[in-house]
Amino acid sequence: MKRKMSRAALITISAASVLAFLLLWEAVCRLGKVDPIFLPPPSAVFDKGGTMWRDGALWTNVLASARRVMVGFLAATLVAIPLGIVLGTSSVSRAIFDPILSFLRPLPSMSWVPLSLLWFGITETQKYSIVFMGTFAPALVYVIEATRGVDPLLIRAARNLGASRWQVMREVVLPASLPQILSGLKVILGLSWTCVISAELVAAREGLGFLIMNGKEFFQTEIVVLGMMLISVTVLLTDFVFRALEGRVLRWRE
Amino acid sequence: MKRNGADNMISIQGISKHFGEFQALQCVDIQIEKGEFVVLLGASGCGKSTLLNLIAGFEQPTAGRIDVNGRQVVNVDPHCGMVFQQYALFPWLTVEENVAFGLKMRGIAKAERLDTAHRYIEMVGLQGFERKFPGALSGGMRQRVSIARVLANDPDVILLDEPFAALDAMTRQVLQDELLQIYEKSRKTIVFITHSIDEALLLSSRMLIMSARPGRVVTDIRNDLPMPRNADVQLSPRYNELKSRIWGTVQSEVMRSMQSAGK
Repeated sequence: MKRKMSRAALITISAASVLAFLLLWEAVCRLGKVDPIFLPPPSAVFDKGGTMWRDGALWTNVLASARRVMVGFLAATLVAIPLGIVLGTSSVSRAIFDPILSFLRPLPSMSWVPLSLLWFGITETQKYSIVFMGTFAPALVYVIEATRGVDPLLIRAARNLGASRWQVMREVVLPASLPQILSGLKVILGLSWTCVISAELVAAREGLGFLIMNGKEFFQTEIVVLGMMLISVTVLLTDFVFRALEGRVLRWRE
Repeated sequence: MKRNGADNMISIQGISKHFGEFQALQCVDIQIEKGEFVVLLGASGCGKSTLLNLIAGFEQPTAGRIDVNGRQVVNVDPHCGMVFQQYALFPWLTVEENVAFGLKMRGIAKAERLDTAHRYIEMVGLQGFERKFPGALSGGMRQRVSIARVLANDPDVILLDEPFAALDAMTRQVLQDELLQIYEKSRKTIVFITHSIDEALLLSSRMLIMSARPGRVVTDIRNDLPMPRNADVQLSPRYNELKSRIWGTVQSEVMRSMQSAGK
């Protein structure tokens, strides 16, 4: 018979799994089975992390990437939400924007790198623009889809209570589609990290993507692995923060 | 009853409504005076919901015109407040915010609109639930919120589209009594849709029986059962007399529509 395990027990199992993985990795490296150039042991990675933490390099790079993600993601979201709501509720404006959107959607963020470098050089604006271009179109599609799911009866009720067209969008369509929009934006947030890392891999002077690329140039594989771990942890953390925010905004769904 | 008199709150003249080939309403003429409680009674598919949607301005007639309080209906107008069968409450707003929604749309200050909302929340007996979200309420309570939301907006006419059809029998009876009390207090003009003869007799001051395919008004009966009423009225001889008379009409209409549907 299956019994439901307690939360604490499950967390213990997860922690043990992580520990076992790290030990196995360390053992493989220590036994001289692999060249540390190809795969450094976790102890060396954590050691490097400690050093970089103390000299501040760790924070500088994490913050550089995080800032780029936030600026690009927020800019894309702030344009996509209102535009998406208008497009979702008006078939005329959809007819205007749909062809442009269909053209932008299939372009991966990397394809914008050459143009953005020409336009902005190796600057912060260039990084922001890569994140923006890589996330704007999918974010807009999520918002439009979300507004399509709004119960038409609620719109009818709002109009019957005296809401104007704009009020319907702001007071009904936006809050009604917010759960859908937020779950879409969670995906977009992950996507913004992909965009910023790939932009940094190509051309940057700081950031997690730069850290990885730079580590590779100097055969400091532990920095490469450290950079990869930092990307994972940072993305997980931002996702966690986002979920917490989502829970607060959508507290009516309990 | 006066025709086109100054007291008419709702004037429906020569209304027809087609949906493509399908004729939902054919040449409907109804005059409703201020303060009447009119129940539209008919089997499903007789176009009674369509008629209500036309009065509310959600749809436009194919022919004819509708005036509410002396003004032609050309668009959705908050002067005709609608209570929907599925409540249509905004799930992200609390009870008080739902009730105050119409006032907010009119730009009334927060303190004032919440004040008004609380008055109507009390009127429907939901004190203590002001800060709850609709998701936490039962069906009967949700419909009370929906009624309070329309009342708070102070419309000339209240339209109710089978508002109690989704509720269990006991809750329905309680809400019917409450609606009667609200009607007696507010003296609003009410148009109420149902397919229940008992509900029509209990609530109405006048009953309009509709036929199906195409929808028309076949009988117009004044309900002279004494007000104020409660569920006990169902035991009176006059009640049963009216009921059997209505049933006679409704039965033949239902048979006719079933036969035509079978063809």
